[in-house]
Amino acid sequence: MASGLSDNQIAELQYHLQNSVQGCTDRCLYQSAKWAAELLNSIPLHDEANGSDTDPDSPMSDGTHPKHNLTRTPVDPFEARRERKEHHKFLLAKTYFDCREFDRCAGVFLPHTLPRIPSTTHASPSAKSKDKGKAKAKAPSASQSSPPLSLEDVSQKALFLALYAKYLSGEERKDEESEMILGPADGGVTMNKELNGISAVLDQWFQERHAKQLDGGGWLEYLYGIILAKGKNEELAKHWLLRSVNIYPFNWGAWQELGHLINTAEELDPITELLPRNIMTFIFHIHTSQELALCTEQIHASLTQVQSFFPHSMFLQSQRALLYYHSKDFDESASIFSTILQTDPYRLDGLDSYSNCLYVMESRPKLAFLAQLASQIDKFRPETCCIIGNYYSILSEHEKAVMYFRRALTLDRNFLSAWTLMGHEYVEMKNTHAALESYRRAVDANRKDYRAWYGMGQTYEMLEMNSYALFYFQRAASLRPFDAKIWQAVGSSFAQVGKLNNAIRAYKRALVAGSYYEGTGTATSSFGSEKESHGLGGGVLDPECLYQIANLYERMDDRGECAAYMELCLAQEEPANGNDDLDEGLTAGLYGANGSSANNPAQGSGVTATTSRARMWLAKFEFGRGNMGRANELANELCQDGWEVEEAKALQRDIRAREDVDR
Amino acid sequence: MSRYLTPSKIGLLALVALYCDSAVPNRAIIPTLSFVTSQLAPSTSLSADITPNKPESAASIENFTKLTANQISNVPGRSLLDLFLKKLWAIDSLDALHGFFHGLNSYLVSSSDQARDEVEIPSHRLLLSRVSPFGIFVRRAQLEFIRMQFHDTVHLWISFLAFRSPTEAVWRKRNPTVSNNPADANLHGLDLASNDRLKHLCYGSSIYNEDEQEKPSSEDVERVLEYHLDRLQRLGNRIPQDMKDKFSTTLSPSASTSNLVHFVSFFDAWRAGDYTGAFESLHRYFDYTTQTRDKSYYQYALLHMAILQADFGCFSEAIAAMNETIATARENQDVSCLNFSLSWLNHLSKAYPMEMKRAGYIAMVGSEKEGFDFLKSKAIETKTWNLLSSTLLSQTKLTLAAGDGIPEALEHLYQSSHLNMTHHINSNVGTQLLLQSSVYGRLGLTYLADAYCEILMDSYATTSPVEDAVRASCRRAYTATQSGMYEEATVFMGKVNPTLHRTLKLHQYHTSFSKLLRLKLDLRRRNFPAARYSLHQLESGASSEPELDFQTDLLEIQFLQAAGSFSAAFDKIEDSNHELRCENADVHQHIHLLVLKCLLLSRVGKPIRGFTMALRAAAVSYRAKLLPALWESVGAMANILSSLCEYGVARRLLDAVIPQALGGKDAALCAQLYLWQADALAGLAGQEAHGSNGQAALLSEAEGYIDRADYYFTKIQDIRGECDTLGKKATIARKRGDLKLAQDWAERYVTLYQEQFEHDPKGAVEFR
Repeated sequence: MASGLSDNQIAELQYHLQNSVQGCTDRCLYQSAKWAAELLNSIPLHDEANGSDTDPDSPMSDGTHPKHNLTRTPVDPFEARRERKEHHKFLLAKTYFDCREFDRCAGVFLPHTLPRIPSTTHASPSAKSKDKGKAKAKAPSASQSSPPLSLEDVSQKALFLALYAKYLSGEERKDEESEMILGPADGGVTMNKELNGISAVLDQWFQERHAKQLDGGGWLEYLYGIILAKGKNEELAKHWLLRSVNIYPFNWGAWQELGHLINTAEELDPITELLPRNIMTFIFHIHTSQELALCTEQIHASLTQVQSFFPHSMFLQSQRALLYYHSKDFDESASIFSTILQTDPYRLDGLDSYSNCLYVMESRPKLAFLAQLASQIDKFRPETCCIIGNYYSILSEHEKAVMYFRRALTLDRNFLSAWTLMGHEYVEMKNTHAALESYRRAVDANRKDYRAWYGMGQTYEMLEMNSYALFYFQRAASLRPFDAKIWQAVGSSFAQVGKLNNAIRAYKRALVAGSYYEGTGTATSSFGSEKESHGLGGGVLDPECLYQIANLYERMDDRGECAAYMELCLAQEEPANGNDDLDEGLTAGLYGANGSSANNPAQGSGVTATTSRARMWLAKFEFGRGNMGRANELANELCQDGWEVEEAKALQRDIRAREDVDR
Repeated sequence: MSRYLTPSKIGLLALVALYCDSAVPNRAIIPTLSFVTSQLAPSTSLSADITPNKPESAASIENFTKLTANQISNVPGRSLLDLFLKKLWAIDSLDALHGFFHGLNSYLVSSSDQARDEVEIPSHRLLLSRVSPFGIFVRRAQLEFIRMQFHDTVHLWISFLAFRSPTEAVWRKRNPTVSNNPADANLHGLDLASNDRLKHLCYGSSIYNEDEQEKPSSEDVERVLEYHLDRLQRLGNRIPQDMKDKFSTTLSPSASTSNLVHFVSFFDAWRAGDYTGAFESLHRYFDYTTQTRDKSYYQYALLHMAILQADFGCFSEAIAAMNETIATARENQDVSCLNFSLSWLNHLSKAYPMEMKRAGYIAMVGSEKEGFDFLKSKAIETKTWNLLSSTLLSQTKLTLAAGDGIPEALEHLYQSSHLNMTHHINSNVGTQLLLQSSVYGRLGLTYLADAYCEILMDSYATTSPVEDAVRASCRRAYTATQSGMYEEATVFMGKVNPTLHRTLKLHQYHTSFSKLLRLKLDLRRRNFPAARYSLHQLESGASSEPELDFQTDLLEIQFLQAAGSFSAAFDKIEDSNHELRCENADVHQHIHLLVLKCLLLSRVGKPIRGFTMALRAAAVSYRAKLLPALWESVGAMANILSSLCEYGVARRLLDAVIPQALGGKDAALCAQLYLWQADALAGLAGQEAHGSNGQAALLSEAEGYIDRADYYFTKIQDIRGECDTLGKKATIARKRGDLKLAQDWAERYVTLYQEQFEHDPKGAVEFR
């Protein structure tokens, strides 16, 4: 498959990735650099000469590849001159940055009188730029307070580094001011105070730049995008990020930021139109779809295709695993994760998802092992803390779990999954207030997290605030339109607020979704004993759902419909894989597990509490209708099954009495 | 370092679980249970008293296998070891470890408010009550496990793997089907390369590394430290160097060492005589503990400091510190501390009166007796039997020193002994026995005195302070020397285990004492250069024991006499006497000096001047029931009487004293008494008519006494005495007219003289 690319193309790709690593490292974008370097190393080496000789001195590779006619990024001579001139200063700034002295780093290139626009005086560039689109109107306000900055003689690279350092110092200060996790000052209210100043500078700079028909080389656009996104100015941010990736596509950070800004699948498509056509776009598409939990055949296919270029890429493998995870194919997902773990045991990135997966599979020993491994590698990584938290959660030691999630968040406030997981733990500890707050933070940070939405709904349900719960369930359902569990929750909330018709429709949706998902589940999983029973394929429906629908119809006094659904519910026993999910834990549901499919016995459970209740209802119904034979038969069955024997016997006595009277 | 749990604790838990599952057969129950309890027994000082051997540090897997290997279990065909290993190896992953601890719940009787889990409990299982020792152990283990942070559990798990790995072979033999990676179930089914990598990553290189010592938990370390401290504090033992090294290696990896370490090092430095080190450590200890302890412990800090200062001779600092201690203790109403410091101050002022006076100490209470009464009443009030007992002992000492009467002293002794028995105050038994022995010693019952020392050494050596044991053996050696059994004395001195008195003070005491004995022998053998050398060393010796000082003084006087410098000897006696009077010293020392003085006077030919002294000495020693001193003074008196030609009286006096003195086992005294008796008889013979029967009888009687004296002199190797006897024999022979015999004796005298002194001309010259 790798042969899909010519040597030349591969060389070009390698060149770009090398460049990207270098560029990111220069700008101190460590994560992006790491990502690019990983990708670079996942390209199989065909050509001995290509790989071994040139790699060490990659920036100089121009001379060593005479045979490849590569398309190079054009070098701006002015830029190059400026960079040369300030090379020493740049080195100084970079070392400051590496020592995490951000303000000092920024001070190397920026004048100390950088206008700091207090956030109180006026909202942000966002307020203005919303109507003006390109924030042109902002310039005068910035230049009012201070003489226009001359950043003419500062190279783009230096400017980026300086502003980025400023931004990070602002972030650091923000974290300091937020104090304790979930403490009084930690409400997401604290803002990064540098944002306005930076965006003013960038705004001005871009104006000047665009006047000369020049751009910021992709990097500054990216920075501007981040700043805008942090200022909750998402549309504009998206615009700048798109620009960035169009100019320089090999900065993974820009793609990630862009991905964060896409909240629904619907938003993804128009964006795709605006993207350049290259390998990065593919990867972006896969990643974003994964984040949006869109696991269609196409995504899998395109992932396979991309993987053929980068067969050793752990990142892509983990994307695959996450796709399986979203489609509830946990075994497959876990096996991929475990392969990743074996190939590169030191890689902690994304292992928290593996732990989620193991949690849902209730594979305690493996989870413990994973936690041990992670804690041996690095105790103070948010991923590690999440894994340990999950492990304690499965041991029902919720206090300790919360402690570890909190630790994860202290290490990195933007570690999204920890917020959600902490919410789950608070729910378990019946601390609804804290749970809601955690969920809220999760949702604020990442609106795509359906588990957080669902968790919020559940919490409100616990508080018996059903209309709130309904709202949040609906949000979750909109993110996961094919999740039966969520639809059931929506249905029950509707029922609680008295909208019976809506409730029935939601339940019906759940039935459809259930059968739909199970279908894909069986299709994607190739083998495995458990999975064969997965599907309620063949028209098998969730009896619980059916019973609820029947109940709703009864409440609407539509006894005919009701009886029909009850019969349908009973019918689920017969194909020998009716379900009961009564014993399924709350948390399993929270993890988005359609528990009814996760822990199914191979043969249908047959008689369950739900079906028995349906049977009882039917028996009484038949009794009421005077259909004594059927009623007696059903009551007999109930006695045999051993459910609600007393009531069944009473019913039988009644029937006999009635029959005696009739006779 | 974990706080409490160690792999061996897991092993103990497994044993407890086996016991509860009734897998332990009846025969093995007692060994099993006692093994577990011996590991768990809290290390209070009480238990340390009961089991004087060192507390087992965490049991190794060998201990477990040794315990269980030979026991047949209740499951047919399986030994207890098999079941134990099954239990251990069933923990095949970190998760299983969690499960193991969680499962311990089912071994406890459920408390009423806590609903029992659905877990079915097998009917044959013994349930542990929640407050039984095992129940507490199980619950504590569970609690500690829950308290652990995740990475600590990982450490526990890894060290547990290392702990049980020696049993892998046995386990495999019994279970050939186990996979080749039984340590962690999660490593099954992985291919070899990645398996190795993962294993290395998770377990480092420590897995299966049997050399790696099990790391003790901080609780274990604390236990060892407490034990150590207890030994140091009560008995004054220091640990030997190799053990110390081992100890510091166990302590070193833990960052969170207990504060006790400083306290231990304080005591250690103190015992080692390292004043600055001790001071430093003490301050460090209290600096670290101020956060955890409130200010009420301040007085204890001061108390320790005062004792330390006094021990190193800084009396004025000690008194200042002690006064502050007393003030603080009063303020905080800490009666026991107050009493202790008062009694200590009392003791100090008695032991070092000069120094204390110089340091400006003025007794707080009127007289010593009042002080004791106060302390006793306080002790009874607060039921601090320890203090009461030690006060009684001090009072005994005081009574003895003042010569106030044996019955009173014995009464105090018996009271104290009763308290020691009933309240199990082992630390005071040593002192009590020593005092008892000295009471009998004063009564002249040397054999009994010796027996008490022997009791102390044989039965109480492990539980009483090392100092007492050393003193006892020194005293035995002294007694042996007195009766001329030098070999035995050397044995006694050698018996003192050098590892025991790793304390500087005791070491000094021991060496000084052995030098003293040596000096005594040298003096008797007339080995003057050696004697002078020893004396020199003793005088410059660091030992600050008043008793030893006095003995040294005595020997010096003896030396000066023997060397013929009588005026120097006289001056020395006068000096010592003056000193003793200042110090308000023991009556027995006074008498000794008196007797010495009158002997010296008679030696220089002025016996009359010593008569009143001898009389006084006799009177005082009779009143104080100081029998050995009485015999000596009576002997001296007889000698004076003889020189006054009152031979009859002298003879009668000596006749009365000699039989008792023979029981006193002081060979030198006996020889001297016999010699005086012989003198008296010879004097009597001189009064008889020359050549009469009476004279002949008296002379032969005198000769008999001389023979006896000679026997004793030979026994103690007193050359001078032997020569004297030979000379006297020659004189008697000449008197009888048997010139040949006289010649014979004289020749033997010369031979002996030459034999002994020819090689030492200087000594010979001094010998006249």
